[in-house]
Amino acid sequence: MELTAHISPLDLAISGSIDLIRPLVSATDLTRRWGRGSSAQLGIDGVDLMIGYGELVAIVGPSGSGKSTLGALVAGIDRPTSGSLVIDGTRIDRLSNDRLARWRGGNVGIVFQNFHLLPTLNATENVELALKLADKSVGRRERRLRSGEALASVGLGDKMKRLPTQLSGGEQQRVAIARAVVTRPRLIVADEPTGSLDQESGHVVFDLLAGLVSSGTTVLLITHDENLAKRTDRVIAMLDGRVDASIPAVSEFVDGPLATDALVAAVAL
Amino acid sequence: MRQVLREVRRAPSRIVVSVFALALAIGAIGVFAIPTVASSSLRDAAERDNLAEVVIGTSDTGDMNVETLLDSLDNVQAVDTQIETEVSLDAGAPGGALLKVIGFDGQTQQIDLVHAEDGRLPEGRDEVLVSNGVAPIGTTVAVTGQDGETTDLTVVGIGGTSFWSATSAAFTTLETARDLAGLEGVNRIVISADDVGKDELRATADSARDLLAQEDVAMTFLPITIANNEHPVEADIEQVSSLIGILGIVAGIVALVLLGSTTNTLITERTREVAVMRALGARSRPLRRRLRRLAVGIAIAAVVIGVPLGILISNVIARMVLQEFVGVTPDIAVSLPVIAGSVLFALVGARLVAARAARRVTKIPLATALRDRDGSPFGRRFTERLASRVRLGGLLDRTAFRNGVHRRSRSMAIVAQITAAVAALLIIASLATTINDFNAASVEPFNWVSRTEVAGPGLDIDADVADSDPRSEVSIDAIGEFDGWQVDVRGVEDDTLMIDRHLDEGSWFVQSKEAVVSTGFAERVGVNIVYSLDEQPAVELAGLTETIVIDSFQDDGGRQAILMIFGAIGFVVVSVAGLAVASGLAVNVYERRHEFAALQAVGGRKRHVFRVVSAELIPMAVLGIGFGLIAGYFGGKAIMGSFEASNAVEIGYTFAAGVIPAAAAVVIVGSLVLGGLMVRRVTRQPAALTLRSAA
Repeated sequence: MELTAHISPLDLAISGSIDLIRPLVSATDLTRRWGRGSSAQLGIDGVDLMIGYGELVAIVGPSGSGKSTLGALVAGIDRPTSGSLVIDGTRIDRLSNDRLARWRGGNVGIVFQNFHLLPTLNATENVELALKLADKSVGRRERRLRSGEALASVGLGDKMKRLPTQLSGGEQQRVAIARAVVTRPRLIVADEPTGSLDQESGHVVFDLLAGLVSSGTTVLLITHDENLAKRTDRVIAMLDGRVDASIPAVSEFVDGPLATDALVAAVAL
Repeated sequence: MRQVLREVRRAPSRIVVSVFALALAIGAIGVFAIPTVASSSLRDAAERDNLAEVVIGTSDTGDMNVETLLDSLDNVQAVDTQIETEVSLDAGAPGGALLKVIGFDGQTQQIDLVHAEDGRLPEGRDEVLVSNGVAPIGTTVAVTGQDGETTDLTVVGIGGTSFWSATSAAFTTLETARDLAGLEGVNRIVISADDVGKDELRATADSARDLLAQEDVAMTFLPITIANNEHPVEADIEQVSSLIGILGIVAGIVALVLLGSTTNTLITERTREVAVMRALGARSRPLRRRLRRLAVGIAIAAVVIGVPLGILISNVIARMVLQEFVGVTPDIAVSLPVIAGSVLFALVGARLVAARAARRVTKIPLATALRDRDGSPFGRRFTERLASRVRLGGLLDRTAFRNGVHRRSRSMAIVAQITAAVAALLIIASLATTINDFNAASVEPFNWVSRTEVAGPGLDIDADVADSDPRSEVSIDAIGEFDGWQVDVRGVEDDTLMIDRHLDEGSWFVQSKEAVVSTGFAERVGVNIVYSLDEQPAVELAGLTETIVIDSFQDDGGRQAILMIFGAIGFVVVSVAGLAVASGLAVNVYERRHEFAALQAVGGRKRHVFRVVSAELIPMAVLGIGFGLIAGYFGGKAIMGSFEASNAVEIGYTFAAGVIPAAAAVVIVGSLVLGGLMVRRVTRQPAALTLRSAA
């Protein structure tokens, strides 16, 4: 029997890291494939995964290992070819496109390597838009207030009217984080959030993301950066579309960091 | 070509769409060929039927041998005699339909050859061959001749000759026609000439007139001379045909817009690819050459489809014109100059547009081109920063508005394309309406009972026929000539109600030698008020036949024909314009797919994406409709003005305001439907895949 690289739900329950009865993310035999027949391209293949509430989890692996694909599936911006994916009690792989979009708006915040801010909206408007799409009941005034707070929390209180082109890369990523957190989601998926940033900006961004965990938000961090991975609660290593069983994937929780030398060596970033 | 094939393999649907878009643009140029194709088809028919060059209507020639008399004239190659008369169908019924009857000798005919498409030519007494639609073969038709006698004619064939193609006619033997017309000899002479120049034919006609006059035979209408192997009905379609030719300009403009937008898109969408190649060391000049070759390769592929399409369009519409207006079903014809022009248009046009676009693409700073998919990110220009401060509408509306400002060239192109589409639709509809109104006004006098007076011997007229009905008037219709122009001359009572007596200038005629001329004609030939027409070698009235009384004249057929023909042209032109709009919209949405995917990633549904697209489209559509209305109004007016000036006719201009709601609805609904389809397409694949391709 093949060992899964991640810790078993029982171990996690013992450690107190997750709620065994209702994990936040539960993926079973998750597969993503593009195309058919001999030209089919495999993204991930039969991944099982559980992530609890309030965890800061890093997914690491070499290019093409499937970590971004897994992140996209968990974030609900891609659909698995097979398998099931339950997030906070909702089986999102069975949702229609519109329901999935609505679910995303209210339940997940996404931070991309390339930020993907809407170029024609300023910082406040970008954050405000996410809130508007997530919750129609929030009035305009409250939207502005919360957007302002979110931007202030990432240190951009003085640049709220700036367009994305008028912000540096690090600042744009902070706007993206503000956009991700403004809806107060249970889960944040950050795909290489520091990949386009210098080291200092990268650490600032990581600190912002790590800080969210203390408020009960789960953060799934997809990264190449071994130093950042070391600072997470748990590391899941991917290789060729599967969770790499040969790498010890679990840190010692809570007090982390524990990315082993074997991890660093095997991941071959 | 190899490069094009490689591109087809890489992005088949986009290349195929480009090829077909260009092919349609090339095909639309075929509208230019309609007059030539129609004319060419008619001349083929004239040659096939060996149509007469001179046609003379005479009083009864009695027992005189006309062929022998005229054969000796200079320039006469052959002479045929015929009888032309009209009979009343449905004998006994008052106001029965009229049928033209042509008597001819089927054994010896050389000119205006009558063919039997079905059945055979008439041989025995009371046998007729009729034109299509008059009566089926084998039936008997009861007709009332000029002497009031009823005769049963047996239909033995269907067919005719293209001279009479616009007329419902029956062709019969000379004997039968003679009985129906009450003649002893013949009353129609057709001459085939050696020299078919205009002056030579006139001289021949004059000589024939002198010879006939010596024999006491009068001409009953001005001799018809058909010079230079033309078809006699060419003049009938000349105006509508030239008007259609002018519409080719509208078709050409929209084709140009489509060519420009398609080729431009083809090159612009390769901005990033070009940037990568430049980064790898490729020089700009070979890259530009490569892009130009790609555009020309696609234009060549489009020519292969577009030229046959243009031939098809021109022939279909020319056939419609000829069938509806003159009853001739033409063979396929092509206009080589138009084909050559459309090929040049495609190749040179594509190369010029591609050269400009390629220059632009290779001049974008490399760092910018590699970093930004769109060349220049939003917020660099002052207008963009200004637009970013506009807080009108919701967030999605704002992003739509600002995107419109950001991609101003694309926005302006879409507005221009919609303008061209709306203008084309309105121009074509306005011209059709104008012609129909003009036709309606032209046939108005024919709703009156009319009589003519006789010059020359032969026909007896009851001059009191009009007096017996107070609603009727008398008038004279004749064709004259003034200063080289053929003129319709209508003699009416000075207090006539038959025509509209509203004058633009001067006063109504009250005495002999005074006339009122149409404003357009007066302007064309430089006639001023108090200009004396009788000082010119002007109107010549040789003689007139007894007129057939028409109680009412319905021209619904003509109206339908105009609507059908202009509708067909409108369909072609508006299709091309619509495709240009569709192409612009599609590119606009496609280019922003990454932005839409980002919107989806933060919770935006398909309807939110559609909201952004529609918020951007609707203002552009409204602007395009507005500009299109203005361009359509003035464009149509200019076309009619130019047509009036070149043809010395006064037609006026009726703007088809009734089409505006339909045009607006089509543009708005069409844009939204198209936008919806594009949104559906770009949101179909998971946002992650789209965003990944942006990375």
